Amino acid sequence: MFTAPSQQLIGLGLGTVAIYTVTACSPSQPTGTLEIRANGEDFVRQGFVTKDGWQITFDQVLVTLSEVTAYQTEPPFDPEQAEPLQAATLVTLDEPVEVDLAAGDETAEPVLIKAVDAPAGRFNALSWSLMPAPLVEAPLTLMGTATKADQTILFELALAPSLKFTCGDFIGDDRKGILEPDDTAEVEATFHFDHLFGDANLPADDELNQTALGFNPFAKLVTDGSLEATQADLQQQLSEADYGKLQTIFSGLGHVGEGHCKAERVEVIDRGAEEGAE
Amino acid sequence: MKQLWWLGILSGLFIGGLRAMPAWGHGAIATYEHTITVFSKFDNGDPIANAQVVVYSPTDAETPWQTGTTNAQGEFTFTPDDSSPGNWEVVVRQAGHGKAVTIPLGGTAASSSQGLNKVVAGSAAIWGFVGTALFFSRGKKA
Repeated sequence: MFTAPSQQLIGLGLGTVAIYTVTACSPSQPTGTLEIRANGEDFVRQGFVTKDGWQITFDQVLVTLSEVTAYQTEPPFDPEQAEPLQAATLVTLDEPVEVDLAAGDETAEPVLIKAVDAPAGRFNALSWSLMPAPLVEAPLTLMGTATKADQTILFELALAPSLKFTCGDFIGDDRKGILEPDDTAEVEATFHFDHLFGDANLPADDELNQTALGFNPFAKLVTDGSLEATQADLQQQLSEADYGKLQTIFSGLGHVGEGHCKAERVEVIDRGAEEGAE
Repeated sequence: MKQLWWLGILSGLFIGGLRAMPAWGHGAIATYEHTITVFSKFDNGDPIANAQVVVYSPTDAETPWQTGTTNAQGEFTFTPDDSSPGNWEVVVRQAGHGKAVTIPLGGTAASSSQGLNKVVAGSAAIWGFVGTALFFSRGKKA
């Protein structure tokens, strides 16, 4: 049963504490199951060759998504326009969720973040945040192997972007988010990691490769055939230009399929630290 | 550098079909069609040719109502069904990136034209475009 927009229904799932919140207009609105998924695409599951010739394979790509919210917007939200998102119905996950985008083979579905009971309708906007400490040390951790010629590097990059992605409708071969009563639909947070490393399948002067970092800047930091670095390490060890590029790339990671998102910096307030200081 | 897309919409009326009545008198019939032209270009003014286009009607947001590609000038024109008022959506995709534009149609003539003006003014969609002019499959999971 759903209440007016000024009130919130706390949904119960799996017999545990509340895990998601639904805000809807009609108390008698029919519902279905909304699957909220995350996708690193084949770049993550199958690996790829970076713009600077490194064959990358991922063992794990751990992403902690916070404040994940799916919206039914009217008018449809356009992240590239100034008009704010207007949603009569939304579903929010109350707790951060960590997923491994590298899990599964090339035939696997996008990773399921959470399946929730949601009002039927068209979920045509999605937002989520990547927020570092105190919630999580690194909301984005890449673990894998990079190989080029006779060099092999084991890497673990614990990255800490602090961003909120607010996205419009999913764009891809099929539409998503159209939830019929008693049926299932999905929305998808997509991560474009070719923006970080570039893609050897594209020309060197392609816009994507021009703005991507590649793997060479990371390869220069290797000691004893492996690289383990946090965001703070990279800030110290990468050149100022490369670190600045990395920060810009973070903003372009979030998509909804091929659809773009608005990326905004978020400040993470450590309530515990504030109370301790008082 | 071809960095940004500009996606605009032009609405037009095509008036045609003048023809004579049968022998019993002068007469003419004028008909019109309401067309929508979507055009896309890079920020340097180059058109985005051969982009994949899908049109969805207000009555079915899931099933493509019409598909096609932009022409050499980055244009795609379609004639919406005037018996289906509401939000028409046009999705343009190329090289692993895409953009959707919503076109509200229908209602009174005044409100419809106001809606179109707002759409034309507000839907100049500019987004960062990365990729090539070739249709590039990202190898994504649908």
